[in-house]
Amino acid sequence: MLRIEGLSAGYSAKPVLNDVSIDVGAGQFVAIVGPNGAGKTTLFKTISGIVKPSGGTIIFDGVDLLAVPPPQRAHLGIAHVPEGRQVFPSLTVMENLEMGAMTESGRRDWQANIERIFEWLPVLKERRNQFAGTMSGGQQQMLAIGRGLASSPKLLMLDEPSMGLAPSTADFIFERLIEIRRQSGLTMLLVEQRVAEALESADHGYVLEAGHVVLQGNNATLRADDRVRKAYLGM
Amino acid sequence: MEGFFQALAAGLLIGAVYGLMCVGLGLIFGVMRVINFAHGDFMMLGMYTAFYLFTAAGVQAVFGNTVGPFVAILLAGPVLAVFGYFVHRTLISHVSGTRTASLEGEGHYAQLILTLGIALILQNGGLIVFGSVLASIRTPLSSSAWELGPFFDMSVFLNKARSIDAVVSLVMMILLSLLITRTRIGKSLRAAADNPTAATYMGIDVDRAHRTAFALGCGITAIAGGLLATNYPFHPFVGLEYVIVMYAGVVLGGMGSIIGAFWGGMTIGLVQQMSTLILPTQLQNAAIFAVFLLIIFFRPQGFFGRMVERT
Repeated sequence: MLRIEGLSAGYSAKPVLNDVSIDVGAGQFVAIVGPNGAGKTTLFKTISGIVKPSGGTIIFDGVDLLAVPPPQRAHLGIAHVPEGRQVFPSLTVMENLEMGAMTESGRRDWQANIERIFEWLPVLKERRNQFAGTMSGGQQQMLAIGRGLASSPKLLMLDEPSMGLAPSTADFIFERLIEIRRQSGLTMLLVEQRVAEALESADHGYVLEAGHVVLQGNNATLRADDRVRKAYLGM
Repeated sequence: MEGFFQALAAGLLIGAVYGLMCVGLGLIFGVMRVINFAHGDFMMLGMYTAFYLFTAAGVQAVFGNTVGPFVAILLAGPVLAVFGYFVHRTLISHVSGTRTASLEGEGHYAQLILTLGIALILQNGGLIVFGSVLASIRTPLSSSAWELGPFFDMSVFLNKARSIDAVVSLVMMILLSLLITRTRIGKSLRAAADNPTAATYMGIDVDRAHRTAFALGCGITAIAGGLLATNYPFHPFVGLEYVIVMYAGVVLGGMGSIIGAFWGGMTIGLVQQMSTLILPTQLQNAAIFAVFLLIIFFRPQGFFGRMVERT
């Protein structure tokens, strides 16, 4: 579904990603883990078109993504749940979800989507008329996820959904994501610093360090790897 | 006492038109975060457009002297919206929106110089094309009044043209609020204002949202300008007189709040008219800024502003 090959990107002269290749098959749950500053968020921004790559290709669903203008990419079926949530603070919860549904498929499936989103994330239903800026971090994260789902995406990209949240809230959000995936079979690409949880639930993982993919494999392989165990799992 | 109510009524009527004028600028600033110094000159163009539509383009012949000016004024809105659309597309978009990432100071320096340049071109171009003779869109209503009352031996006179101006402004304001709060386009404008990057992730074309806001803002202010022109004569440099009031209104209302800009403009209209009760007319503008400073001292974020910057 998403094939990234030899991707290099960065800000002005400073390269952040160096020859990164990542493959996400339809229906897969892929996790990208790595330390701060490894280039995980830059990778997502390059997929969404906010950062221009200096080399490499991104093919999404048979389309050369780099030839598609950034605002059109959502319409192809990519939902980006950004780092730090980035909900629209002066819009209500419901309006935020409507913004998620700007895509054609999102408008078509609006009724069905909104019912499912409210079922998965009931707090959004309770607070649907509240301004997003007045909600707690965990609630905003759920809204950001709901907003992504409202577009009827083919691929849901989640950038550190646990960032800045209390461990129990982060656990709850992980549990919700796994449940959403179990019920919907949605293809997901997750970037996470909580390596243990990410690798546990993903089908396939990549370890990104200083802009390079240093390791990849299915979750069993990665969790058995000595470097991963030492550096990330604390074993 | 009678003078007080008369000034209050005059302030409310002019305040509604100032409110609409400020909303045009507030919309552009709120959505794009671009300081448009040329906005007063777009309004000047709106005044002349309404003037020529009325006198030269046949509106007067078809609708007559009473209704004609208002038809011409409402038509000037779309004309200036189209003009604003192209000014954004050809000039402003190069230093705003998604291009700002690659510019120094997020493009603010370039925006200041560019809009100042546009202002100068419009003012001096206006002088060449329209001449320096004062023009106005007079209607028979401009010099007649409705009498309210008498209540307790007091009567308040409402200038007919100014009353209709105020009603047109309120209707426009209501339509605009509905557009901003209820429609998909309005909501996407607000989303693009809140967080342009996240809006792009949603599939909203932020540059197009900016173009829409700029066109709308120009059209709205053009209509407000035309309404003012039914009572106040104008000339190619008239924009300078109003652009200060517009900025004061937008800041009073709270930077970025569209509804706030209306109330900011209303406040300025009220202060301007009420000040004549105690101050000589020449000090009207001084009074506006005295009150402006006072309000900003106690409420720096304006009436509807948020202290917390957008995330």
